[in-house]
Amino acid sequence: MRQETMFVDPQRCIGCRACGAACRECSTHKGYSMIFVDYIDRSETTATMPTICMHCNEPTCAQVCPADAIKQDENGVVMTALKPRCLDCRNCVNACPFGVPKYNSAMHLQMKCDMCYDRTAEGLKPMCASVCPTGALTFGKYEDVVPLRRTKPVNIHVFGNQRVETKVYLMLPTDAESVEVNSRDSGIDPAIHESWIDTQVEDADKSNEF
Amino acid sequence: MENDISAETPARVNFRNPTLLGLAASALLTVLVIVGSRNLENFDSALFGYTIASIVAFGAIVFRYAVWLQRPATRTYFKRGLQLFFQKRKFARNAAQAAKTLATNLVEQRFIFKRSKTRWLMHGLIMWGCILAALITFPLVFGWVHFKLEGDMGYRPYLFGFPAGPALEGRNITAWLMFHGLDISAVLVIAGCAIAIHRRLKDRGAIAQQQFLLDFVPHMLLLAISVSGLMLTASSLWFDGYMYAFISLSHQALVIMTLFFLPFGKLFHIVQRPASVGVELYQKHSQEMSQAVCPRCHSVFAGQMWIDDLKKVVNKLGYDYRMENGQTLQDYCPRCKRIMRGLAYAAIADRSDKVFAGTRGNIE
Repeated sequence: MRQETMFVDPQRCIGCRACGAACRECSTHKGYSMIFVDYIDRSETTATMPTICMHCNEPTCAQVCPADAIKQDENGVVMTALKPRCLDCRNCVNACPFGVPKYNSAMHLQMKCDMCYDRTAEGLKPMCASVCPTGALTFGKYEDVVPLRRTKPVNIHVFGNQRVETKVYLMLPTDAESVEVNSRDSGIDPAIHESWIDTQVEDADKSNEF
Repeated sequence: MENDISAETPARVNFRNPTLLGLAASALLTVLVIVGSRNLENFDSALFGYTIASIVAFGAIVFRYAVWLQRPATRTYFKRGLQLFFQKRKFARNAAQAAKTLATNLVEQRFIFKRSKTRWLMHGLIMWGCILAALITFPLVFGWVHFKLEGDMGYRPYLFGFPAGPALEGRNITAWLMFHGLDISAVLVIAGCAIAIHRRLKDRGAIAQQQFLLDFVPHMLLLAISVSGLMLTASSLWFDGYMYAFISLSHQALVIMTLFFLPFGKLFHIVQRPASVGVELYQKHSQEMSQAVCPRCHSVFAGQMWIDDLKKVVNKLGYDYRMENGQTLQDYCPRCKRIMRGLAYAAIADRSDKVFAGTRGNIE
């Protein structure tokens, strides 16, 4: 039987940001949300992309940490940086392919989603999954989630030449095998500029400072 | 700084050089002990166990540090930090800046204060207690400092065998504070550990994440050392030396265990943390140099030197985030990485699929 993990379904996300508000309640990073809900192209659509830590099997953030402060637990959860070690170098913030880790320079500290370690250790759902009204963020076992959805859980991303396998699943159309962040048709042509309204987001969302 | 990130083989950990460095460090300290104590003339043989343990632990710490420096990211920061620090024209400014960082980060520890005030108090008590104890004990253990009785009640300190300062009156408040320096440090450490353990038993976040070996054992060792140290004072002052030999042996065993624990787990941050001075220097310099501009949103988000170094590190670790459009994923700001993934996700769905037709009929 597989372990419980998160299932992210962006097409269900209505951008209510309840997850972010709930995330602030987590005991391991009290008062700070570690979730991002970004508009993907606000001049065209109201669609939002919720981003939580995907908990990579081979986490780039942990590898680029000079202080060896980011550890993976035995279940594959990539933990937030160890407080005595983190040097606030922000390598992880810029190396993470998903843009997840946050930092605070005054505290010399990186923090990231650790799948609500304090709650899951006690058999509770992570904060975000317990409040998401649409099931865009769901916590459960693979075999329990699959029959409930017409979409398929996939845990493979391809960023350029790099294949990244994660503990967290993304719900995709049944014929898709992975998300590929690479080619021009996925909307990342450098010639395409953001619309004005897309740039009008809070600074914290841009810089990942919490 | 070349941008070339051609594939290199991922770094392997090599134990040969760290072992040699560790042995050299132990040998150097041994020589310093012999020379500093004037051919062991001033060496207190009762402290022999501590001396040997310190020498071995010093070698182990150097070994661990050298292994740590082999991490590609650590190595990059270390090399670049030294390179930036020793820039010819900026040396004085760098030294001043490093001194300032040292004062705010390592002495004042403002960053811990920002994390939590109780945590700052806890850490301050333990740290200053340990520093005070180390400053008193290591020179004695290495035979670098000793005292000689002069007259009825005067003690004259000797440093490396040379008289250092006037003879001290043995019965005034200064002398009392000096002779009880280790008791004072023990009280500080006990108070700090009490706060730390209280937090670890009460705080939900801490309870979820802590590990016995990593988070409790260091506090328990420090507590045991402090309590057994105080017991030595109590035994000699009030109980006519009752059980003194046993307590002394236990104290020694506990200290040696802690010294050997230094290179591992939580306590390694004592030698590792000063690296934050180098990291801050690196970040400051990188802010003053040319800045990386995100190719997608055109916002300035980090120093170019830093991003270039990071890409090399990522590549060295065996990742290849180069994309079809010639950029590397790390060229983009964190927010654009999230949005690019969102766009890539949105592009997967087949828009001619029935599900998109909704109630308005077919999409042709």
